[in-house]
Formats: sequence, C-alpha cells, structure tokens
Amino acid sequence: MARIELSGIQKRWGDNFGVRNVDIDIADEEFIVFLGPSGCGKTTTMRMIAGLEDPSDGEIRMNGELMNDIDARDRDVAMVFQGYALYPNMSVFENIRFPLRMRGIPRARHGELVREAAELVELTDFLDRKPAALSGGQRQRAALARAIVRQPQAFLMDEPLSNLDAKLRQAMRVQIKRIQRELKITTVYVTHDQIEAMTLADRIAIMQSGEIQQIGTPDEIYNAPANTFVAGFIGSPPMNLVDGVLEGGVFRSPGIEVAGLPEQRGGQVALGIRPEDCSIDGDSEQAQGDSAPHLTGAVYGVEPTGDLTYVTLRVSGKLFEVKAHRNYRAALDSEASVRFDLERVHFFESKSGSRLQIG
Amino acid sequence: MAAKRRSRGESLTLRYAVLGAWALFCVAPVLWFLSIGLRPRVEIITPQPIYWPTFSLDAWHMIWEDWPMAKYLRNSVAAIFGSVLIDLVLAIPAAYSLSRYTYRGRDDIGFYILSTRMMAPAIVAVPIFFLFKNLGLLDTIWALMLIYAAINLSFVTWIIRSYMLDIPRELEDAARTDGASDLRILWEIVIPAVLPGIITAAVIAMIFAINEFLFTLLIASTPDAYTMSVALANFTGGSDGVIYNAIALVAFLAFTPVFLVVVAIQRHLSRGLTMGAVKG
Repeated sequence: MARIELSGIQKRWGDNFGVRNVDIDIADEEFIVFLGPSGCGKTTTMRMIAGLEDPSDGEIRMNGELMNDIDARDRDVAMVFQGYALYPNMSVFENIRFPLRMRGIPRARHGELVREAAELVELTDFLDRKPAALSGGQRQRAALARAIVRQPQAFLMDEPLSNLDAKLRQAMRVQIKRIQRELKITTVYVTHDQIEAMTLADRIAIMQSGEIQQIGTPDEIYNAPANTFVAGFIGSPPMNLVDGVLEGGVFRSPGIEVAGLPEQRGGQVALGIRPEDCSIDGDSEQAQGDSAPHLTGAVYGVEPTGDLTYVTLRVSGKLFEVKAHRNYRAALDSEASVRFDLERVHFFESKSGSRLQIG
Repeated sequence: MAAKRRSRGESLTLRYAVLGAWALFCVAPVLWFLSIGLRPRVEIITPQPIYWPTFSLDAWHMIWEDWPMAKYLRNSVAAIFGSVLIDLVLAIPAAYSLSRYTYRGRDDIGFYILSTRMMAPAIVAVPIFFLFKNLGLLDTIWALMLIYAAINLSFVTWIIRSYMLDIPRELEDAARTDGASDLRILWEIVIPAVLPGIITAAVIAMIFAINEFLFTLLIASTPDAYTMSVALANFTGGSDGVIYNAIALVAFLAFTPVFLVVVAIQRHLSRGLTMGAVKG
C-alpha cells in the first residue's frame, strides 16, 4: 500500500541524540522489523513515521509525498501499542469502530467492516465486552483489529507482543505474519526480541544508540553480521567473540589456535563463531574432526534444554558457549576440546568492530 | 478447615463492627441536629437533660411559613450547580492544556492558578464588592455563581489535572493515529477516562460552595440572593434570640442536596481510573 522512505532522519533532545542519521527505504508491502536493545531509538523512529514525534532533521516520505509537516491523524497509518491502548470506556465493537468514525467512513458500512476485522483476529464473540473484561491475548487482538479495520497505508507495531506470555506470543506471531501477508500492508514492527525479528521480518534493521547498524534479510544478518554488535545481538546464545592475532593464515589467542585460514589479511582481529557452528569432543552425535582441536578449556557449566545442551567452557578466564547434542553431559571442570566449522568463522576488526571479508 | 472457617467468620464480624462504628461516628451529628430540629424550642434550652424528647414540627412550620426558605434553597442549588458548571467548562480544557501541552510558562501558569487560593478571602472582599457593584450584579444569584466558580476554579483545575496526568499517553497517541482531532480526543477519550476525577472535583466544589458565607453575605442583601448558609445566620440574632431548632433544621436542609448528589454518583467516585485500558 505504501512505500516509506526515511532520509537523514535525526531526533535530538538538547545535546542528546535519540536517533542519528537514519536512512531506510521500506518497500511497498514489506514487513520490516526495527530490532535493538531498549533506548536504541527504534520506537522513536517509529513514532516519527507515525507523526507522533517530529524529526529534528531529515525527511519522511510516504509514496513519495513529504510527510514531515503532516499531522499524525492525516497520515493514514495505524499503530498497535505495547500496552494495547484500548479505550476503556468503549466496548470492543466501539473500539474497533473508532477509526472508522474518525475518518468519516459512511456509518452504514461500520458494522460490516468491524465484523470483518473481528473475524480476522477471531474476536467476534467478544464485541460487546469492555476491554477490562478481556484477557491479555484478547486485548491484543482487539488492538490489532482496530488497526486492521480501515486498511491503512501502513501498520506500525510497537512491541505488540511483549506483554503476552511465551506461548501466546508465539501464536500471535504467526497470526500477525499471516494477516500481514493476506492484507499486503506495509508493516513496521519494533521489538527487542530477536526471535520475533527473525521469524516475522522480510528485512531487519538493527539499531544501537540511535543508529542503524545493519539492514538486511534475517539470513544476511545471521550469516554475515556487519559488526560485533550485530554478531553479539543475533543468535541465542550469541556468537562467541574472541580477540586475538591473525597472522599467516593462523589465528591465535590464549587457549585458541585456528589454522588453515586465508593468508591475505592479518593483524589484531576478533574471531566470531556461533555456538551452533562448534563441535565438542565426546559429543557422540557430532562428527569428530581428525585435525587438532581449535580450542581447549575447562567445562564451566552444562545446561540441558531438552532438544540440545548448552555447554559453557572457560578458556583463559573467558567464557565460551557451544551447543552440543541433547545427550551430551560432562563433569564440571573437566577438560573439553572444541572444533570450529571453518566455513562459518567470522572476523571483525578489533578497533572498529566492523566485519572483515576474508577468503 | 472448621477452625479456618470460624476465624473468617470472626473477622467478618469484626469488620462489620468497625465499619458500623465508623458509620455511626459519621452519621451521629446529622441525626443529632435532625433531632434538635424536630423538638420544641423550650425543650432545647432547658438545663436538665431530656432523654425522651417530644416530637414537634414547630421549627419546620416556622422556616417554611415565616421565612422564604424555598427561595433560599432554590438560590443555593442554582448558584452551586451554576458555579460547578462554569468551573468544569473552564477547568477541563485548562487541566488538559496543563497536563498535555508543553509551552513556555506552563508551570508558572499552573502555579498562578493554584496561588489564587493562597490569600485570605477577606483581602479581596472590598474589591469584589465594587467589581460586582459596577457590573450591576449585586444581590443576584449570577454574582454568586461567578464568585463560587472563581473561588473553586483553582482546585477543580488541579484535581482534574492530576487525574489527567495518570492517563496513559498511549491512549491519546492511539486516538491521534486513528484520526481524532485534539478536541475529539479530549471529548471521547480523556473526559471519560478522568470522569471519576471530574466528579470528585465537582462534589468538593459543591461542598465548598454550599458552605460559602463571606462573599454571599457581601453580595446578597435581600432574600433574592440569600442562600442557605446566610439563612442560617438569620436565626442567630434579632429579637427572637438564637432559634436552635430552626438552625438545626436549615442546616439539615442545606446538607441534603449535596448528600443526595454524593449518593447518586458514589459508584463513579470509587471506580478505577482507566480500567482495562492498558495492561496494569
């Protein structure tokens, strides 16, 4: 329905930057997720798209039209809030109908449109209730129906699932994705939950300290993180990052030695390897390499989760995480060796943290 | 189980006992002056205590037949409701502005509004008299409405403002993205959400207004503008001496309208502020 372009967007409060130089081009019908820790500027960016916050610099365009001076109520976007923001004095029906009344849609069509939206979120049996008489999940669905009902140019969703319990969150996640695909409405979604970001997004924009660190598809972000922040933010447990020296195709750090790397780069680097790209000796289900192990350390903790086991090793005072088969067990402080999948090793510049292309 | 049930029963008895005692404490003065109002005058001023008073409607007949009590009551009710209406019309937008918009001097304006209550009313009595004299409003209930509204406006504004500060901002943001204008948001979202605060402020304003004496006496010089509180004073002097039973009965009548209003709206007074609006 709408293409949204942000160029050079900044938000300042006095000398403090809330958002700094954000450039992003959101395609029509795209589902984009702003991901980042609290205070990274993701919600502020979304509020600027909604018109609830004025940018200090930069331009916001929808379908090419400059939006900076257009009031929130004239922007034709619908927002879903973390706290649902249902109007407490109105029934669910009246809540969903509210945007139709405000936008002057003919009264005769209200009933039908409200019912359609309620059907889409499976809320038709609760239309007469007040928000106070709904469960958390039902309130969330009512808020969603209110956003859907007038088929806006764009959906803006600000951590809509963070108040729900884990099971409900997963169910709602699937539902949101499904509805977005059916309605084909451009969606901007803010979250700090990487699973939500990975599962929902066409593209993810990872933010930190008001700046976008990387924009890409979930695969790009997972497979080729642009810097150590992104590498450490995506993945659970996050990528292991080890500082060391790369010289002549060999990476060395106390307790770690990785040979057989391309030789063209060298110097102080950070090596990154995801816990799922490591194999631990004694793990019967994983292939054992013939070569010397890349890392040896003392077992610091073993955490079985059911479908796999997290193993934490202590290597020269630092902790290193490995995902092992669910049957893997080891005594605390026993020695364990780990091999890396060399295809999946990442390198980052030590100083700037940016990704190094090697090989 | 049995022990537990008994202890719950005991605590229930205790609860009723405490609540009953408190209710008696609150209601006793009202019943007391009602009982004074329904006794013959001689019986009230006798030095010996009387345990079984004689029922008499002397005072009742007296206040309605010898005095224009219906007029006083009407003046009181009109002036009070009028003043509360003026207060709400002015205070709700003012409170919304103070709680939601940022502009230079906002907090100073807020403080100024409150500071109008800080001086002793007597200081402005003479200027007020001349003001209303020049306006040609002396001895009218319009003047009473205005003066009561002016006296109460500051705290009505502040009470409503404090309730508005508690409304989640998300509610207004949601309404704005849904396409509502500022006035719509105020009317459809904010006012319903702060209704308990508006009612609380209105009731307190009524209570203050019905008890207002100084300015009423200043402005009202004939029964055209006398209110219940000034009427009470009429029974304390003059050749008849202090007419206690009439005073008690008039006091009871003055108390009744506010009491009825509070009973009618108490459900709203105790209701939660923004039930179910957001997860809480």
